Amino acid sequence: MTTAKLAGAMEAQRERLLPCVHCGFCLPACPTYNRLGDENDSPRGRLHLMQAVVEGRLDPESDAFQVHIDRCLGCRACEPVCPSGVEYGTLLELARETASTARAPDGLTRGLLTVMASRMLREILFLGGRTLRVTGLASVMVDVLGRIRFAGRLRFALAMLSATRPSVRLGQGVMADGMESQDTEIKDAHAPRVGVGSVGILRGCVQEGLYGRVNDATARTLDVNGYEVRTVTRQDCCGALHAHGGALTAARNLATRNIKAFERAGVDWVVVSAAGCGATMKEYGVLFEGDPMEERARAFSAKVRDVSELLAETGPRSGASVDCTLAYDHPCHLMHAQGISSEPLKVLEAVPGADVRVIAKADECCGGAGIYGMTHPDLGSRIGGDKIAAVRDAGADLVCTPNPGCMMQIGAGFCMEGDAQEAVHPVEVLDESYQRAGYYR
Amino acid sequence: MTLARSLRSALPGVSAREWDQSNNDVLGLGGTPEVLIRPVSTEEVSQILTWAGEEGVGVLPLGSGRHVGPVGGGKFVALETSLLSGVDEYEPADLTITSGTGTTFSTVDATLREHGQWAPFDSPGVNERSMGGFVSEASHGPLWAGYGSLRNHVLGATLVTGDGRVLRLGGKVVKNVAGYDLLRPVVGARGRLGILTSVCLRAFPLPAHERVLVLKGAKLTSLIEPALLAGTAPVLPVSIVVVGQLSALDGSSALVLRLHGAESTVDADQSAIEKHLGIPLDRLAEQEADGCLTEIRDRGGLEPRCVEVSVLPSRLSQVVAAADEVGAAKAVIDSYAGRLRMGSSDMSADAVSTFRGAVESLGGALRVTRWDGVTRPKDTSCRGAELQIAQRLESIFDPAGVLWPARQ
Amino acid sequence: MTQTLTSRVADRLRAIVGEDQVITNPDRLVAYESDGLTAYRVVPRAVVLPETTDQVSEVLRVMHGEGIEVVPRGAGTGLSGGALPTPDSVIVGTARMNRILSIDEQNRLAKVQPGVVNARLTEATAPYGLYYAPDPASQSTCTLGGNVAENSGGPHCLKYGVTSRYVTGLTVVMADGEVVRLGGAGLEAVHGLDLVGLFVGSEGCFGIATEIEVRLLPKVESIRTLLGIFDTMEAAGHAVTDIIGSGLMPAAVEIVDNATIVAVEASVFSAGYPVDAGAALVVEFDGTEAGLDDDADRAEQCCLSAGATKVIRATSDEERIALWKGRKKAFGAMGRIAPDLLVQDATVPRTRLPEVLARITEIGREYDLKIANVFHAGDGNLHPNILFDRQNQEELERVERASREIMTLCVSVGGTITGEHGVGVDKRAYMSLVYNEVEMDMLRSVRRVFDPDGRLNPGKVVQ
Repeated sequence: MTTAKLAGAMEAQRERLLPCVHCGFCLPACPTYNRLGDENDSPRGRLHLMQAVVEGRLDPESDAFQVHIDRCLGCRACEPVCPSGVEYGTLLELARETASTARAPDGLTRGLLTVMASRMLREILFLGGRTLRVTGLASVMVDVLGRIRFAGRLRFALAMLSATRPSVRLGQGVMADGMESQDTEIKDAHAPRVGVGSVGILRGCVQEGLYGRVNDATARTLDVNGYEVRTVTRQDCCGALHAHGGALTAARNLATRNIKAFERAGVDWVVVSAAGCGATMKEYGVLFEGDPMEERARAFSAKVRDVSELLAETGPRSGASVDCTLAYDHPCHLMHAQGISSEPLKVLEAVPGADVRVIAKADECCGGAGIYGMTHPDLGSRIGGDKIAAVRDAGADLVCTPNPGCMMQIGAGFCMEGDAQEAVHPVEVLDESYQRAGYYR
Repeated sequence: MTLARSLRSALPGVSAREWDQSNNDVLGLGGTPEVLIRPVSTEEVSQILTWAGEEGVGVLPLGSGRHVGPVGGGKFVALETSLLSGVDEYEPADLTITSGTGTTFSTVDATLREHGQWAPFDSPGVNERSMGGFVSEASHGPLWAGYGSLRNHVLGATLVTGDGRVLRLGGKVVKNVAGYDLLRPVVGARGRLGILTSVCLRAFPLPAHERVLVLKGAKLTSLIEPALLAGTAPVLPVSIVVVGQLSALDGSSALVLRLHGAESTVDADQSAIEKHLGIPLDRLAEQEADGCLTEIRDRGGLEPRCVEVSVLPSRLSQVVAAADEVGAAKAVIDSYAGRLRMGSSDMSADAVSTFRGAVESLGGALRVTRWDGVTRPKDTSCRGAELQIAQRLESIFDPAGVLWPARQ
Repeated sequence: MTQTLTSRVADRLRAIVGEDQVITNPDRLVAYESDGLTAYRVVPRAVVLPETTDQVSEVLRVMHGEGIEVVPRGAGTGLSGGALPTPDSVIVGTARMNRILSIDEQNRLAKVQPGVVNARLTEATAPYGLYYAPDPASQSTCTLGGNVAENSGGPHCLKYGVTSRYVTGLTVVMADGEVVRLGGAGLEAVHGLDLVGLFVGSEGCFGIATEIEVRLLPKVESIRTLLGIFDTMEAAGHAVTDIIGSGLMPAAVEIVDNATIVAVEASVFSAGYPVDAGAALVVEFDGTEAGLDDDADRAEQCCLSAGATKVIRATSDEERIALWKGRKKAFGAMGRIAPDLLVQDATVPRTRLPEVLARITEIGREYDLKIANVFHAGDGNLHPNILFDRQNQEELERVERASREIMTLCVSVGGTITGEHGVGVDKRAYMSLVYNEVEMDMLRSVRRVFDPDGRLNPGKVVQ
C-alpha cells in the first residue's frame, strides 16, 4: 500500500484525533514517558505522530512512527485523565494497523498472532507449554538461563510460562497441574438459585491454554452466586492480541465467530475473567464501525461483563476463611479501559481471613502488555521491576490481578528473582474459599 | 557655581532649600548633602535625577528620614519624598490601594481600616515610615508567617531610575505576569535601582477577631523548642515569636502566638495548638496584648544599633547560643521565618563581626539595619556570580551611579 | 527552515547526556514543534534530555560555544508558546530531571529537580502533613520548572499567592553554562537584590533552573466547597463582590459561564451542572474545621441574596472533586466542541469584571465568534476561550482581531494582558498595550544581564 493510501486510512480517524488539544494531561499517566522522558513516547506525542501521518507530513514507514507506536504498552492509562475524551486505545489499534501495513512487524509478533488465531495451533502450543510447566522444566531452565548471557528473552518467556502454574499458597498445588479441563460441569447442591441471569464464559486463548483453572473457578463462583452458567461452543480467541497489534482483519474474523457463538447460546451475559479480552469485546462495536456486522457487534458488546462485575452485583456470597496476605494490582484493561476498580476488591472482601493490601501505584501498568517483555526487553523489565518492587513493599504473599498477561508478567518477575510470591486471579481466591466452605461437591 | 544654584537654573520650578546641618546628627549621616530637594511629582524626580547624572552628584532619597544610616563621601543632594504624598486610588472592593511614596504607612493603614481592611505588616517603627522607605527596605515583621512578605503584596510601583527614566512596574492586579517581574528586585533594593514615587499595595480584610497567646519562660532559649513545635502545628498562627525580657510581661521571656479569624475558628485553633504543644497557653487581654505586640514590633529595631539575622528555623537555638555578646537576652525571634533581631546602643562592631561569622557558618545571613558609629560592621554579602548579576542589574538601572551615594 | 545539527555537535551532546537522550531524527522532532499552544509550530534542530545540573551546564556550554539557540521545555503544557522552538534551536527538556532531592520536614522546605510534576510534590510531602500550595489547573502534569518559568498561579492563589511566594532558592544554569546559586532559605537577610523573585516568571529567558527550593505549608485541616448556580453572569459577579466585601477570605472563587457549562456537560467529564444556567460559581474555604461552616453559611447567603437559584455544598472529598470538575476540566472539554481553541488569559481589577464580561460577550457577537469564559473571579483573572477552526482562514483573522480587542479592553480598565499564562510568543504583540518603549527597553536590558547574547529562549516575552 502506498503512503498516500495509508494516510487515507488514518484520515478517516481525523474526528477521533481532533479532540486532542495538546494539553499534556496524559504525560504523567504514561509509563513509557515517565521512564524515557521523550515526548514521542507519550500519548500526546504518539497522537501528534498520528496527526502528522494524517497530514502527510510523516511517512508511516518511518522509524519515528514505527518505533514509538510500537513502544506503547497500550495500557490506556491516558484515557481516564484525558479531559477531551480522546479514544486513544482505538486510535492506537488503527495506527498499528497502518504501521504494520507500512512495514511488517517482527517474526515473533507475527508468529504469535498466527498461532492465537488458530484453535489447533494454539492447542499444540499450550500443550507443550503445560508439559514444560508440569514437569518443572520451565522453572529449572529459568535458573539455568539466568547464568547464561544473551538468554534474556528466552528466560523471560519460560519464567512467564512457569508463573502460570497453580498457586502453592492457595493450596492449588495439590490439584494435578496440566489437567486443565474444558467446560467443567458444576455440581453444586448449595448454590442459592436466585435467577440473576444466564451467562456464557468466553474461555479465550491464553486464559484457556494456561489458566483453564481460572475459567473453571469463574464458572463455579458464578454458579454459587446464582448465575446459570451455560456452555458456549464454537467460540474462539477474542482477537484482543490481534487488535492491539493492528491486525484488525484477523481480529474481526475472530470476533465474528464469537458474536455468532454467543448469539446461538442466547445468554444474558457474556462473562470473561481476562481483563484484556473483556476490554476488546466491549469495544467490538467500534471494531466493526461501518461494517454490516456493526449492530450485532454492539449488541454483543452491551452484554459483556467482567466476572467481578457480576459477582459484585450479587454480593458476592461469603465463603470460608483463607488466611493469606493479598495485594491487589489493577490490570490496565480493567481499570483504564473498562473503568472497573472497586469490583474485584469486593470479590476479595467476600473471602474471610484475606488481608488485602494496596500496592503503591497499583494503577500503573505492570509492563505485561502482551509480549512486551520479549519485544522490548529493556524497557519492559524496567517497568516490570518497578512493579515487583512495589509489590514487595506491600508485603503480600499473593498478588491478585485479574488478567492473564499481568499474572504472567508479575509471576515471571517473582520467578526470575527467586521470590516465593505468586500471582493469582481474584476468583481463584474466592473459589478456594468456596471449596473450603463446602459449596462444591 | 554651587550645586544649589546649578539646580535652580536647570530646574527653576523645583523646590530646593539649604540643608539644615542639625539634621546630620538626627539622621546619623556621615556626610552633608549640598541641598534638600522636595519634588512634587514623578516628572520632577525624573528631571532631578537626570540633572544629577549630568552634574555627577549623588542623590540620597529621604522618606521619613529615620532609617537612613551613614553615607560616604562625595558630593550629594538629598531628595525628600514628603511632597509625593497622599492616597491616589483606593478601591476597597478590589483590595488595592495606591499612594505616593511620601505618604506614611500609618496614613495608608488608617485609610484601609476605615473600610474594614488593613496592611498586615509589623516591622519596627512601621507606622512612621514613608511608603517609599517601607517598600525599599522590605523589612518584614513576624506577621510574615500568616500573610507572606511585602514582596508578594506590592502589586505595582512607579520607579524613576538613576538616569531619570520613568518605569511603571507591575500594576494594580494581584496576578500579573506580563513581562519580567522587575518589581521584585526593586522592592527591598534600598534605593539602589531607583527612586519610587508611587506604590500599589494589596490590602487585606481585617480579621474578625485577634487572640494573643503567651507561654512565659524564665529563659529565652527554653522557649525556642516550643516555638518550633508551634510552627509544625496543623494550624499555623499568623505570627510565632520568642522574645526576651518583655517589659509588657513584667520582664519575663515569652513565646507569643497570634491567631486571626472568626471567634469560633480562633477557639478551635487555640485548642489545636495547645494539644500539639502539650501545654496550655495564657490568653492576653486586649490592652495587655496591644502593649505586648507593639513592644515586639519595635524591640531593638529603633535602637542606634541593630542587626537582623536569617537562618533555617532548625538552627535558631545555635544562633541564639552564639549571640550572647550582641544581646541575645533581649532578642526578638520569629521562629517560623527563622529571623532574629537584636538592637542596643552599645553592641560592638567586633562582637557583631564575630557573631556574623557564627551565623554564616550555620548557613544564615546577618544584616546591620542600623549603626550609629563610623566602624559599621559588614553585612553578609551574596556570593560570586549572584553578586555579579546584582551589580550588572544595578548598573543598568543606575548607569552613572547617582543613587546610593557611596553608601556601603 | 530548520537546519539539522552537525554530527560533530550531536556527538558532543551524546557524549554528555548519553546516546538515547539526544534526538536529532527530524521525524522524531515533530512532536516537539508545539507546547500547549498548537497555533504555533516550529521544529527544533535537536532535543536534549539531561538528568543533572552538570549535564545541563555542559550542554549549554556546548551550545554557547557553537552559538546555537536554546529553548527550555518542561512538560510542554504552557499556553503562550513559551516552549516554542526556533528553527535554529536545540530544546533542552527537563522530563528526565524528575527527582525530589530532599524534603526538610522541620523547616518545611523541599528541593526538587525542575521536571518534578507539581502534584507529585504535594503527594510526596503529604506523609509529613505538608503540601505545596500553588495549584495551576494543569498541576497533575505541569512541572515545577515550568511553574518557576511562568510564575504559575492557580485557583487557590487568591488566598495563598503565586509561585514566587514559595520559591526560596534556585540553582540556575546560565546561557554560557555557568552554574549560579540564587537565594536560599535562611539567607533572606543577605543584603542584595531579590534575584530569585526576578528569575521566577522569566519564561526561560534568564537561565535554566536545575534545582528549585520551595516552601511547603501545613496541610489544611478541612475544606468546604460551594457551588452556586445563577441565571445570569451578572448575578454571579455580584455574589463574588459580596463575598469578598464581607471580609471573608475564600481559598478560591471560580466562575464558569454558560458556554463552558454546555461544553463540560457534553464531555466525558460531565459534572452535573445545569446546562441552562447562566453561570456557575465555585467558592472554597479551607482552614480549621471549626470556623468553616460559618464561612460557608455566610458565602451561601451572599449567593442566595445575589440571586442564586441553587447552592450545593460538598460534604465529602468525592463531592468536592465533583463540584470542581466542571471548572478543572473545562479546557479539555472544549476540545470536544470545536476543532481549535484559543485559551486567552488576562487580569482586570475584580470590580470591573461584570462590565468586562459584558463587553467580551459583545465582542464575541461583533466578530461572530463563540467565546466561553472560565475565570478566577476572586483575583480578576479571566480566561476567555475562543472556539474556532484553523482551516477557516477568515475566521482565524477574526479570532486575532477579537483577541486584541479583548486585551485592549482589559488594559484600559487597569488590568493586564496575562495573569498566569505568560507572554511567550502569543502575547508579545500585546506588550505595547502595557509598556512604553522605555519600559520595553528596560525589559530587554534586564534580559541581557542574564543572557548577553540573547540565545536563551529567543523571541519570547520581548524581541
